[in-house]
Amino acid sequence: MRCALSIFTVFFGLAGLVRAADPVSSEGLKFYETEVLPILQQHCYKCHGEGKNKGGLSLAGRKLLLTGGDSGPAINPEKPAESVLLDAINFRSFEMPPAGKLPPEQIAILTKWVELGASMPEGTTAPATPHHGVPQVNEETKNHWSFRRIVRPEVPTVDRTDWVRNPIDAFILAKFEAAGLSPNPPALPQPLIRRLHYDLLGLPPSLELVQRFEADDSDATYQAIIRELLDSPHHGEHYARYWLDVVRYAESNSYERDNPKPFVWRYRDYVIDFFNSDRGYDEFIKEQLAGDEFAERSSRALIATGYYRLGLWDDEPVDAELAFYDGLDDLVGTTSQAFLGLTMNCARCHDHKLDPLPQKDYYSFAAFFRNTRHYGQRSDDSVYAASIRSIATPEEEAMFAVEKQQWDERVGTLRKQLDEIEARVRPMLQGGEKDDFENDSQRLRVIRKHAGEWLPREEVETYAQIRKTWNDLRNHPPRSGAQALCITEHGPQAPATHVLIRGSHKAPGDVVEPAFPVVLSPPSPHIQPPANGQSTGRRTALAEWIASPQNPLTARVMVNRIWQWHFGRGLVTSPNDFGLKGEAPSHPELLDWLAAEFMEHGWSLRHLHHLILTSNTYRISSAPNDEALAKDPQNHLFWRFDMRRLRAEELRDSILAENDSLNLETMYGPSIYPTIEKEVLAGQSQPGRNWEQSSPDDKRRRSIYIHIKRSLTVPLLANFDVAEADVTCPVRFATTQPTQALTMLNSAFLLEEAQRLADVVQQDAGDDRASQVTEALRRVLQREPTSEEIQRGLIMFDRLVNLHQLTRPVALKYFCLMALNLNEFVYLD
Amino acid sequence: MTNHNFCGRTRREFLWQTGAGFTGTALTAMLSQDGFFNSTAHAAEGLPEFVNPLAPKDPHHDADATACIFLYMYGGPSQVDTFDYKPDMMGRDNQTVQVKTFGRGGHRNEGRIVEPRWKFKQYGECGKWVSDLFPHLAEKVDDIAFIHSMTADSPIHGSAMLMMNSGKILSGSPCIGSWLNYGLGTMNENLPGFVVMLDPRGGPISGPKNWSSGYMPASYQATVMRSQGNPILDLAPPAELGTKAQRELLNTLREYNTEHLKSRHDNSNLAARIASYELAFNMQAHAPEAVDIAQETTATQTLYGLDDPKTATFGRQCLLARRLVERGVRFVQIYSGGAHNDDNWDAHSDMEFNHNLHAGETDKPIAGLLADLKQRGLLSKTLIVWGGEFGRQPTAEYAKGTGRDHNSYGFTTWMAGGGIKGGVSYGQTDELGSAAVQNRAHVKQMHATILHQMGLDPNRLSYFFSGLDQKLVGVEEVEPLHEIIA
Repeated sequence: MRCALSIFTVFFGLAGLVRAADPVSSEGLKFYETEVLPILQQHCYKCHGEGKNKGGLSLAGRKLLLTGGDSGPAINPEKPAESVLLDAINFRSFEMPPAGKLPPEQIAILTKWVELGASMPEGTTAPATPHHGVPQVNEETKNHWSFRRIVRPEVPTVDRTDWVRNPIDAFILAKFEAAGLSPNPPALPQPLIRRLHYDLLGLPPSLELVQRFEADDSDATYQAIIRELLDSPHHGEHYARYWLDVVRYAESNSYERDNPKPFVWRYRDYVIDFFNSDRGYDEFIKEQLAGDEFAERSSRALIATGYYRLGLWDDEPVDAELAFYDGLDDLVGTTSQAFLGLTMNCARCHDHKLDPLPQKDYYSFAAFFRNTRHYGQRSDDSVYAASIRSIATPEEEAMFAVEKQQWDERVGTLRKQLDEIEARVRPMLQGGEKDDFENDSQRLRVIRKHAGEWLPREEVETYAQIRKTWNDLRNHPPRSGAQALCITEHGPQAPATHVLIRGSHKAPGDVVEPAFPVVLSPPSPHIQPPANGQSTGRRTALAEWIASPQNPLTARVMVNRIWQWHFGRGLVTSPNDFGLKGEAPSHPELLDWLAAEFMEHGWSLRHLHHLILTSNTYRISSAPNDEALAKDPQNHLFWRFDMRRLRAEELRDSILAENDSLNLETMYGPSIYPTIEKEVLAGQSQPGRNWEQSSPDDKRRRSIYIHIKRSLTVPLLANFDVAEADVTCPVRFATTQPTQALTMLNSAFLLEEAQRLADVVQQDAGDDRASQVTEALRRVLQREPTSEEIQRGLIMFDRLVNLHQLTRPVALKYFCLMALNLNEFVYLD
Repeated sequence: MTNHNFCGRTRREFLWQTGAGFTGTALTAMLSQDGFFNSTAHAAEGLPEFVNPLAPKDPHHDADATACIFLYMYGGPSQVDTFDYKPDMMGRDNQTVQVKTFGRGGHRNEGRIVEPRWKFKQYGECGKWVSDLFPHLAEKVDDIAFIHSMTADSPIHGSAMLMMNSGKILSGSPCIGSWLNYGLGTMNENLPGFVVMLDPRGGPISGPKNWSSGYMPASYQATVMRSQGNPILDLAPPAELGTKAQRELLNTLREYNTEHLKSRHDNSNLAARIASYELAFNMQAHAPEAVDIAQETTATQTLYGLDDPKTATFGRQCLLARRLVERGVRFVQIYSGGAHNDDNWDAHSDMEFNHNLHAGETDKPIAGLLADLKQRGLLSKTLIVWGGEFGRQPTAEYAKGTGRDHNSYGFTTWMAGGGIKGGVSYGQTDELGSAAVQNRAHVKQMHATILHQMGLDPNRLSYFFSGLDQKLVGVEEVEPLHEIIA
């Protein structure tokens, strides 16, 4: 290129003048003042002038140049040509100035100046405090409440011992007594059972269950109901959803193709099964983080490592290396937030601004994942190579081998037929066609062009037909169903992990070894490659440390989540951030007591559920109390149970359940596709792509089985704040907006389900309007309506029929629609 | 890096928005004191006020523009064939040159020049060179600031689209329209604050990701509006019911809900939900009026090209955009081009066919929009942004033909109205238009300029998420392009 040549001319021209020179000669200073300084002032000093140090670098004096910034010294007096400054102005590493490359003359001047020793006033050495105020790792920060070891606190003694059913109540009551508050009275049986049922299953209770509890609300009955609900397979379907939010579970990759992730649903099923079991949380951690490294091969553990594969994947990255590090960052960010409540992702480019997590800790943590294979390269096949492994039994393997062999043979036979025809055509090719014919995908076109000339038309069509079959078949190799999406590594040896200066993979710094965040005073990781020779064993070391009772964060973070899932809000309201600037716990002793209890009971979720659900704290009413509201308006102290809105999935599932059409029978397996309006599909670049049609039965399955496509969300779920799945989501929003009302009033889904509700109401209640109103309200609210409520419904009925000339069945449908919009349906007490 | 508002307002907003059991008026009152809401007026009669998350908020500084219309030329229009005049290319068709390019075909060091197939002429007082692709728009150059030195981080549609719309090549971040509504609220509660209109040929690559509110709550997500038929999904009440009977239904609903609220009087979420139904009912009435183009004179319709089938669709969308910003909608994005290949500006095989088609469809409507806004005195308050996710290379993609591959090293976008200087050109590419060489500008600076013109400080507008104060322009401070600001 012309301009590139001219740069070199000037460069070498000046370089010829370079002689060994005194670094700060008066001649050099003069050159600096007349030639160099104006350039620096015009192009550099806005960010790197006196008192300014973007990227830690100031160019205001020679000492500052030698001290340098985040990327090290700006000039290298030993080897001037390797100076960072020269790299940057030549756009070799950084591109400086960012507004555009300097003209070649100016580059030549700066180059000469550096070659001559960069004469300039010495200036000050004091670096302009590059990391002012960043928390340091020291005794004080090591003593942060969540970084300390967990020690089981004493259960406090309280005055009102009659209110204490278990230690949870004592911790809660102690705060009330200190604050001069009283807990709310117990919730009435109906709201309590509705609360409990939604809490454990995400579904409305049957009216029969409510009535059973109303008839006998003894503690024994209450506990029996808890057991029944925890034993229900639908409990796992509900609780899995919380965990899936935390681990950014989605079933497609985002970006242009946003293709589905093969077998990802096995991970979802694995999580459902975990919550339906009473296996320990420590096991759950180890399976997800290192299940592939277990000594004993287990398909469950292999499936669990699908955890690593749930994130974004750009199959057409701008920069493959950057994409790799973005993938690593996803693992560091998700793992540290989900399991440890640490936002380590903030230390990728520099030391964490708010927590004592130096940048080195980030890369030491990333080193645990450094040897993992990226999700894929480009094609589906590359995804299968990097991320899919067999979970087949030997018998299944054998059957599949046969199938694969048959496929190979069939593809080979077809290709042979194509080759034969092409061999006959080849001698007839002329000129450019010879080149075109080199390209397999062009051959059909060339042959077609000469149809009837080189080959009879029928034979050309036969060729085209074979080609199509061959192509289809070749692109769809048989894939065993017994496979799982999982993590894989490059082998037992990991490449070096470098600290990346300013997070740039183009600026590797020091090498680091796998290590845990220093501020947690951790042990050194014990790394031993597994016997199978397929990985480094690093992730096992990580999993062992995270799942260890010595880890100060793991149990605290998880018990807080469980508390949040029951009460709608954690004792720590920033559940993914237990750092210095996270929210402090409202009840630190209770949190620690629960954490200790959790670990001592084998990390059992069931044990915690039982403690929480049987406490008085859980069973109090949600009603307002003026005195308490004045003292603690935000209910920090849990003097009442917080009302909550149904989550998006609960809302959809309830609508289906209340008209008896929810398909609870079918659990597990590949995901389902409810109808999405064509207006919404029109937003896709290929409307309908990767959104299949499920059978009517499948469309009525629970929402957890709905395919989660990153670029396309079922509108009802999107409107009701389903988690954005690109990153970990610890707490969902609960917004209130008019578009929700429009969906609930006018959408095809609601109208269809309201009609179905009307049908079952008609069936159960017959033609009597009062019975219809009663039945509709019973189904939606799970209680007997009052006579005023029935009366109000009858008035609406009457006006719809008499004033607005709706037929009686249509009026019933809209009464049902109205019922599905009630606040009492959408909010739990 | 300052974190002065880390524990203050931002954090409270975060708590408020996450919901998470933070019921109660108390927090709302706290936020009001913080100045987070400066208008909370929307109460159903006799009920506590509904705090609309989209209630108008004060800008950081006096705003030049109160609304923004982003004309998105999806696929990547070629700079050298449109506004970035390169006389050095003329007469050099098919010459092989050494030039570094990077597109979907990867990195290359040389290529075959495709000389622009259109003639360039000078227009306006500023004497701007514009190609024959835009005979109408060319007449407006004195209102336009061209940015010829645009650069982006990706020359691949998927990630480049996300970058242009959300500032990042990774998916999951909110788009400009979400940021504007988060920062400023909307002036008209009866209409959505962030509207997207799509090309009838299809959505862009990545579809709804391009108008997602990312990690922000759904309150800030876009509403897709259609220029014909029912404008918004689920807007119309079912025909068998009708508006009057629906009102009956809503009255009954409100009675039940009011009764339910009595014993839960402190719960502002319940009250808000009651009020949201009134708002929805109002939207049902107002949105169809806003899109009723029959109210416009024939002269206006013709100005936008509604009388010509070629320009009618985009023209109708531009006219709608004007009607929406007149009614207080904050951000409108219109896509020219949809789906794949030649259905949008992605001219890989035949420049002439492709750009004649898409420029032909949009030239008159855009010129009409500028003229109409100006004659109504709205242009000074409405920021118009034109551009795609990247530009195109000066050289051919294939051995034959005129198609050009993607180019994020240098491309052209332009802005007009809303306090932007007219008749100026900022930055330069090299003599072939292959890369920005002078006053290089990045998508982030373009975003900073949009925010700045709308009254927001791009380095202050932040949203606390994942342990960080997230910003549209990223963590490093970014300056708007002051040179194009009047």
